[in-house]
Amino acid sequence: MSAEAPSTTQQATVPGRAEGIATRPSRHRVPAGRRRRRAARRSAGYVFLVALSGATVFPFVWMLLTSVRHRDTVFGGSLVPDELTFGAYGRAWSQLDYLSHFLTSVVVTTLTVLGVLALASLAGYSFAKLDFPGKQVIYVTLLTTLMMPLTALILPLFLQMKTLSLLNTRQGLILVYIGLSLPFAMFLMRAFFETLPDELIDAARVDGAGEFRIFWRVMLPLAAPGVATVVVFQFLTTWNEFLFAQTFLQDPEILPLQPHLFGVVRGQHVTDWPLLTAALTMSVLPMVLVYMRMQRRFVAGLTLGAVKS
Amino acid sequence: MSDLVGTARVRPTARTRRWAVGYLFVLPIALFFAVFVAFPFLRSFYLSLTEWSGFTSPRFIGLRNFQSLADDPVFWKALRTTIIYTAVTTILQTTLPMLLAVFINIGWRGGVVFRTLLFIPVIVSFVVTALLWQLIYDPNFGTLNQVLRAVGLDALAHPWLADPMTVVPAIMLVSLWQSLGFYMLIFLAGLQGIDPNLYEAARIDGAGARQEFLKITVPMLRTVTAVVVLLNLINGFNTFDVIYVMTGGGPNRASEVLGTYLYKLAFGTESGATPSFGYATAISMIVFALCVAAAVVQLRISRRARDVG
Amino acid sequence: MVTPAADNPGTPTGRPRSGVTRRDVLRGGVLGAAALAMPSLLGACDSGDSGGSGGSSGGKAKVRLWTWYTEQEKQWPMLAQEFQASHPNIVIENRVIDYDAYLPALQAAVSGGDPPEIFAPHVLAIEYGKAGIAADLKAELGADFLSDFFTSTNDEFSDGGKQYALGWMAQTFGVFYDPAIFARAKVDVPETWDDLIEVSNTIKSSTGLMPCVLSNNPGSNGPDFVLPLITQTANDPHLVLDLDYGRNGARWDQPKVIEALTKVDQLIKGGAFAPNPNGIPDEQAQRLLYTGKAAMFYSGSWVPQGFAGSAPKPFLQRYKVMQTPAWTAGGRHWCANQAGAGLSVSAKSKNKAAALEFIKFMYEPARYAKVMNDSNSMPSTNAAGAQVTDPVVKLMTSWLLNGDGAPHILFGKGSAGAATNALAALIGGKSTPEKTAAAIQAEVEKARTR
Repeated sequence: MSAEAPSTTQQATVPGRAEGIATRPSRHRVPAGRRRRRAARRSAGYVFLVALSGATVFPFVWMLLTSVRHRDTVFGGSLVPDELTFGAYGRAWSQLDYLSHFLTSVVVTTLTVLGVLALASLAGYSFAKLDFPGKQVIYVTLLTTLMMPLTALILPLFLQMKTLSLLNTRQGLILVYIGLSLPFAMFLMRAFFETLPDELIDAARVDGAGEFRIFWRVMLPLAAPGVATVVVFQFLTTWNEFLFAQTFLQDPEILPLQPHLFGVVRGQHVTDWPLLTAALTMSVLPMVLVYMRMQRRFVAGLTLGAVKS
Repeated sequence: MSDLVGTARVRPTARTRRWAVGYLFVLPIALFFAVFVAFPFLRSFYLSLTEWSGFTSPRFIGLRNFQSLADDPVFWKALRTTIIYTAVTTILQTTLPMLLAVFINIGWRGGVVFRTLLFIPVIVSFVVTALLWQLIYDPNFGTLNQVLRAVGLDALAHPWLADPMTVVPAIMLVSLWQSLGFYMLIFLAGLQGIDPNLYEAARIDGAGARQEFLKITVPMLRTVTAVVVLLNLINGFNTFDVIYVMTGGGPNRASEVLGTYLYKLAFGTESGATPSFGYATAISMIVFALCVAAAVVQLRISRRARDVG
Repeated sequence: MVTPAADNPGTPTGRPRSGVTRRDVLRGGVLGAAALAMPSLLGACDSGDSGGSGGSSGGKAKVRLWTWYTEQEKQWPMLAQEFQASHPNIVIENRVIDYDAYLPALQAAVSGGDPPEIFAPHVLAIEYGKAGIAADLKAELGADFLSDFFTSTNDEFSDGGKQYALGWMAQTFGVFYDPAIFARAKVDVPETWDDLIEVSNTIKSSTGLMPCVLSNNPGSNGPDFVLPLITQTANDPHLVLDLDYGRNGARWDQPKVIEALTKVDQLIKGGAFAPNPNGIPDEQAQRLLYTGKAAMFYSGSWVPQGFAGSAPKPFLQRYKVMQTPAWTAGGRHWCANQAGAGLSVSAKSKNKAAALEFIKFMYEPARYAKVMNDSNSMPSTNAAGAQVTDPVVKLMTSWLLNGDGAPHILFGKGSAGAATNALAALIGGKSTPEKTAAAIQAEVEKARTR
């Protein structure tokens, strides 16, 4: 009982961190004063969260508001537009040949994500749980990919793609995306696999399972948060990428959505903001969907506690 | 009979078989690395020893680019700014997301909504981010100044991007805003891997929230923290996109970082009509060296911590 | 005796086996192969790359057109269609690329040996020409064709008697202003820079509004503003050209340049400009004018198009533009003018002839004038210049016709970078004219040795 006292007074500086990780103490009689303080801290916590979320979401709100304005009220008008007009969405859809570029983005991104996921989890698992000579060296070498400024690589890569006849093809772009994204994903997956206990693997080996089955059936499902993370990040990165797409793809028809949008709508001096924001708002939706779908995996509930030591 | 034939050869032990698996799992990523990273990088490295405009043939000049760099005050200024920027953003973008992840993990009603909203900056393309923040920082119409004036803090209203003293901190804020949700997600995923029993045991022993955080959470998140720190370092050294759109490296090099300088040397007006690819690539080699150094140092530190802890 | 043949776990012998099983290898292999093969599935859907320089689609000559000119975003497809209708064996493939991402795409294509047939050369026209990448249009199109273009436009892209690009959209700079505010403050259009200081102070004291806006974020407008001033002090546009290329021993730290920079300093300290030019991007500067917060805005001829899209109607109907102030009363109103937007033709493309056909098609006076008028842009030829409809653009074009044009774009090695940054310091009040001039000279010298 007395041990509780110091913990509650320590909370003054940090809003809302009442009990650390959430496991509700099964006490029946909590003094009223403490209950009130806890409630106050809870409210403070919500206020903080709302404020922070507001700060992070406002560009999206701005995008939404701008996409429904008339063009000449984008900057001059009031915060909430007096007149709503959805014309920009219509124009974005028809003028910009939206659907075909959208589908290109979907295909390119999905294939990239799948490719990255498959190969990065394989490699990440291998580096985390398997042993072979030269492992550290290979790992670190692969990691150096992350450290290279892409600006410098773009021209050599372009010439490389030309040699491989991959220029101006979507599959070439996908392969480049996969190649450049694998190290980061592998980095993440390795970190997640490392947190998983070795005992499971040993047990499975004793049971006679092959290495790949161990990976596929036992370890990968446990690394679901890692998988979800990789899917989310890879989807985002690829969906929003446009410098490489612009440079390696030359036919305008096969461009993914982002490079197409920025090319056509964003001028050197003047931008049609409602059109751009309408187009971008529509393009953000898949990412939000993917994120919301994946982030269920983040919520605890996996059977970590069930590991027998 | 076929069984007996096999015994004449050397039998692979279980260990070497596992080596084979290890290599096999890593093979695809190694292939991608070789084709899409290693070769272009080697070519890049060669280019840093040449003078090249991008359209005539490269002319080998040995280490002269690096000598010119040593004499180039812009390079040194950019290097200094890059290092300061990277150090500060790494610290902020590791500690704050960690705290935020722990905070969110307590469990809040509507937690999913908050998590999504906090993640929005990651989803929004960097072009929109840069343009929007440029808007916020605008001295006349910017939201920041307007808010300050509205609450009576007129004196604080400032030309954030025009003043060499405030431009870098202003950009750091944008970076923090952009990456909060990103790293928070990684920490959240890492938190899911911590055994709740540890906290129960600690609570029974009478530990308070701060001790739980410092003695359990932080150590258990060690690997993830290492990931986040390294990513921050790498992103910091390579930073370019947002700064380029917001200030172009100005005013008068106040916000010039290695990434913007090298981009302008290759693809911008820094060199006027003759791009200096060789010179730009030399700078990218320096960035690469910085990242490698950071990774090595970080590896040493985390290895030592692991041995001690 | 252990037999190696027991590959399957759970064989009748019950002996456990770990390590690689055939099934494992198969599964791993399939997974890996699938990952690698999936992208190739798209191969069937792709048109593949156009190998070599100049491709064809279905037996027709393909002319690729790459620019960032979103101003003509609606006109490009129409031009292409019209041309293809009368030239059935040529296909025009138009591509508008985001301005910030344009150069990597172009330079990559050039380094790969396959630049597009027609492209916006940015600042690289002359260098590409000397390297044999951009065609000499004087030879290809003839001096007659070029004679109708504004002289400054032709000069900008010429070297050694050859011309490597044509001006598409010209630019001049002037001071856009709101006559209503001028009327309220009871001031007239300033003729000289000193007049401008006076007018600005009067506007400030009688209306409390900002006088003249200078937009120097991200910094490219600094040279746009200062370089014509140098021409004004020398009364000769060739000085800037010499400074740019380091010709005839011209140095940035010479008296004429310092004189011009001193005037800039006087303007800033004299209160002619709205505060914080280094923090104001172009679009926000336009906004200051059309929301009635500022009286004047020094900028280029792309602004009318910006106003047309974003400004309220009453403003559109009343705003005007005045000439760049002169150095002295009765002096010449040298104003910045070069074509920032040009078109080059690839010298080595198989379809060069087709490309040139399209060029001639686009520049036919009636058609060119219509395209420029529809997109509120300033043309580069005298013929089209005479047919400009928008009154503000028309006025600005006339300055070119008068020959008052001065260079404002720097092409020399290191010049643009040096000038932009040193001028930003001066405009931000953090430097002196002498130091600025010296800084530019020092940086340019360093760049030239690279």
